[in-house]
Amino acid sequence: MNISYNWLKDLIDLDLSPDETAAALTRVGLAVEGIHPDKDDFVFDIDLTSNRPDCLSHLGVARELSVSTRGALKVGTPVSESDDPAQTLVSIEDPDLCNRFTARVIRGVTVGPSPQWLVDRLEAVGERSINNVADITNYVMLEFGQPMHAFDLDKLAENRIVVRRARKGETIQTLDEIDRNLEASMLAICDAEKPAAIGGIMGGHDSSITDSTVNVLLEVAYFDRGNIRATSRKLNLTTEASYRFERGVDIENLKRASDRAARLICELAGGEMGEFLDVYPTRALQNTIRSNDIAGAVKRLTGLDVPKKECVRILNAIGIENNEDTFISPTWRHDIAIEEDLVEEVARHAGYENIADELPPAYGAGEYQPTEHHERALRQTLIGMGFDEAISYSFIDTRHDGVFEPVPGVLSDKADDKYVSLCDSVIEGAVRMRPTAIPGLLEAVRLNFNQQRRDLKLFELGKVFASSFGEDDLPNEQEVFALCLTGGEIEQNRSMSVRELGFYDAKGAVEAALEVIGIDNAEFTAADITHLRKGQSASIKVAGTVVGSIGRLSDEISATYKFRQPVFVAELNLQKVLGLIAPPRLYRPLSRYPGITRDVSFVAKRNVTFDAVRSTIAEKKYDLCRAVYFVDVYEGKGLGDDERSITIRLEYRSDERTLVEDEVEAIHKQIVTETASKLGIRMRT
Amino acid sequence: MSDSNREINQLRDRLLAELGPASEELPGDVSLADAEAKLRDVNELKVRLTGRKSDLSGLKKVIGSIAPEERAAFAQAVQALEKEVNSTLESAESRLTSRVADLRTELERLDVTIPGRRPRTGHLHPITILRQKIEDIFVSMGYAIEDDREIETDYYNFDALNIPENHPARESQDTFYTTEGFALRSQTSTVQIRAMERRGVPIRIIAPGKVFRRDTPDMTHVPMFHQIEGLCVDKGITMAHLKGTVTEWLKRLFGEDTVTRFRPSYFPFTEPSAEFDFSCFKCHGTGKFEGDRCRPCKGSGWIELGGSGMVHPNVLRACGVDPTVYSGFAFGFGLERMTAMMYSIDDIRHMFENDVRFLEQFS
Repeated sequence: MNISYNWLKDLIDLDLSPDETAAALTRVGLAVEGIHPDKDDFVFDIDLTSNRPDCLSHLGVARELSVSTRGALKVGTPVSESDDPAQTLVSIEDPDLCNRFTARVIRGVTVGPSPQWLVDRLEAVGERSINNVADITNYVMLEFGQPMHAFDLDKLAENRIVVRRARKGETIQTLDEIDRNLEASMLAICDAEKPAAIGGIMGGHDSSITDSTVNVLLEVAYFDRGNIRATSRKLNLTTEASYRFERGVDIENLKRASDRAARLICELAGGEMGEFLDVYPTRALQNTIRSNDIAGAVKRLTGLDVPKKECVRILNAIGIENNEDTFISPTWRHDIAIEEDLVEEVARHAGYENIADELPPAYGAGEYQPTEHHERALRQTLIGMGFDEAISYSFIDTRHDGVFEPVPGVLSDKADDKYVSLCDSVIEGAVRMRPTAIPGLLEAVRLNFNQQRRDLKLFELGKVFASSFGEDDLPNEQEVFALCLTGGEIEQNRSMSVRELGFYDAKGAVEAALEVIGIDNAEFTAADITHLRKGQSASIKVAGTVVGSIGRLSDEISATYKFRQPVFVAELNLQKVLGLIAPPRLYRPLSRYPGITRDVSFVAKRNVTFDAVRSTIAEKKYDLCRAVYFVDVYEGKGLGDDERSITIRLEYRSDERTLVEDEVEAIHKQIVTETASKLGIRMRT
Repeated sequence: MSDSNREINQLRDRLLAELGPASEELPGDVSLADAEAKLRDVNELKVRLTGRKSDLSGLKKVIGSIAPEERAAFAQAVQALEKEVNSTLESAESRLTSRVADLRTELERLDVTIPGRRPRTGHLHPITILRQKIEDIFVSMGYAIEDDREIETDYYNFDALNIPENHPARESQDTFYTTEGFALRSQTSTVQIRAMERRGVPIRIIAPGKVFRRDTPDMTHVPMFHQIEGLCVDKGITMAHLKGTVTEWLKRLFGEDTVTRFRPSYFPFTEPSAEFDFSCFKCHGTGKFEGDRCRPCKGSGWIELGGSGMVHPNVLRACGVDPTVYSGFAFGFGLERMTAMMYSIDDIRHMFENDVRFLEQFS
């Protein structure tokens, strides 16, 4: 809102400089964003909050200043009284949408250019001069905050006004020369036959003031706020008038505004005052607020000590009348309804800067979210392994539906529509609330590839969404942990990668992340996952529950992203994982005797896994055999195409004595033989 | 001259001739291999000229057989020769050894400016870094960290927060709705309600989390961002406590000389309401940094941060809290805006693009 310094001085005795005025306004909540010199004037650019439509005028701003300047506002008292109530000039058919309507006829005007002072005033606050009559309606709106409209009386059929809802199919060409279709919910200001204006929003082109206008009908009215808002939205038409009406104008200020405008028209356009009608079918209700101890309430909420007398003075100055402890909100303040509102009025004029800085008395111990220390440890571990943390939008494209397999615990089998969708989006196509975080990471991979970064490790922690498991429930939200890596392993400050990353790097990262939160028994089982390449994918199980998946992105998906190098991804249901943390294990006493290790290589078909070998040995619980370690696998020369060699290391140890070579040799031989025969594999020699 | 003396002189001439190359200076650009070969040559020469089977040793062995009157002179001559030969050899050896060592040092010299060897360090997202710092501060001030749903009902997103049906903030052009009619929370204030319902009062929480607004992405807008909401409800809580608390955490984050400014404002869920600014962390409120207009505060000396106020009695009532007994303050601010200001990030969209060149700049 642009407010002129000189204009304010017309309405109030102001001893403050423009800078001081700006500071005084900002202090009470009318934030002055800029002061712009304009000829001999200064214009304040004020950022108003939506609860203060009364300050969309110089009068409202002057009133705020009057609290500190303690001067009276210089506005005239309205003198017009309504003529014959039996008049036919105005009839209101829908008083629910038009609470009050005044009409003033001015005859014999000469429409022409405005005098220079009026042009200057309007231009200073950013308005364009049109002609004297239109400029005056604009001027009075900017001064008093009351929008108004001037009709060419002779162009109104039967020279009269009917305020009613539009009829289905009615149209109007508005002042901006656009033909608009009206709906039955919209209020129209009509003549005897047809709409002549859209009430409170914009006048019609046909009945507007032109150079040939002689007789004017000046409309100053009050419309239902909600209806103005609805109509404005439906027509996608916001005007200075609709902006003020939907926020609320002062229903008791209509006559003053009408008088002011009519007099100016007579003065500047040479007309003569004609009849005046004030139709006021729906009286405004003013809020009555009881405050037995306003000073105490101010103290209780703000800590400010403001004597009751000063509280009352401030409230009266902004128009809140009182009768002892009963306060009545003024008709221009639609936002004052309860005692707390009175407290705010007093506090902002007494000055927020006078409120002390105090800490509340000590209370209890602080606490993090129960999962926060685990999440921090997990993040820190991944950072240490060279991963960067990503945050992606929670909405993704619907084309990912069914292409990615969300982690267990997200999708409901029961729901017809498994996914949560937005009615619309601001990013093209992104109307799906993500059921998986992987597409977001892949988007990041693509972006980084485009920036010539091919060695990437990224992870994300965040929520995914799907339809609820129960009926009528809010959608299912689950916290997931996802990671993705591609390219080579790189070292800090060194540009050449040291080796290509692969499945086992992704698995290692998942293991490290799980381990740091206390899970060291995750199982990886070969499994087909929709978005992962067959034979290079696994499901991840913790304590017997499947919690996620890991593997190489499928060739089909890679192709859609135009990835030319393998990309590995993993995703876990973090919420589930955090619920599966086992209590810490007990200490196992250290053996005082040295152990002996033996390596053995088995030649096996490719489908015999390391885990099969390991668990075959572990299950037998061989005496003295303490551990089975993985050493290496070998495939290629010397072995069949469907074969590979697995080398493992066995550790032997006793808690009672030092083992001798012979007894280890015997048990080792037994283990090797039994394992080979059980799994149908042979020892490599 | 006796035969023996002649013999010594002949030997001397021969030895000196053989020692000649050992005494030669090495050329300035000699390679390590050549220098080592030369050193080996000298060592071999030493064995040949002074070893047990050398002519010099032979002469020493015959000293006893020399006539007594000549023996002393002979022995002296032999010793002199031996000394001369040894000294020449030793000097050559030491010169060569040192030269070899120097050459080897040069050859094995390290470039100590090459980066140290370590795995690449990853980076936390700047939003996480700031969130964790702020959480740490509030936990130390006795607050609990809270969070809740991101998809909410209108009740939690609006009604309970005293945002009536016809309020501009409720219009769907600002809020994302799911096809089932749920709202993506448009502010973390929803957690005020959820937490008060769960924990009751007195309560002190902050709630960091994602919020969603229907803004088309541009340099200063993104449709998803992070907010931190603070709430303190107890008997006797006033705006002075709000100011004190906000000032305290900003001081802990930006330094003891930080000051705050509260300006009257309007939010449906607080009454009275205030926006809060803090003195710029870069120019300390002067508006100038190193002679230029300060970037983070655009020369104003102040950084506008967020909204706050005393919890509206309707909000307290919605959570079953009696506003005549309890009062409280709440505040909220956006992490992206704050991060953008702290690092002078010109385009807020970078926050969710996950460009590694962006992420690498924060730690």
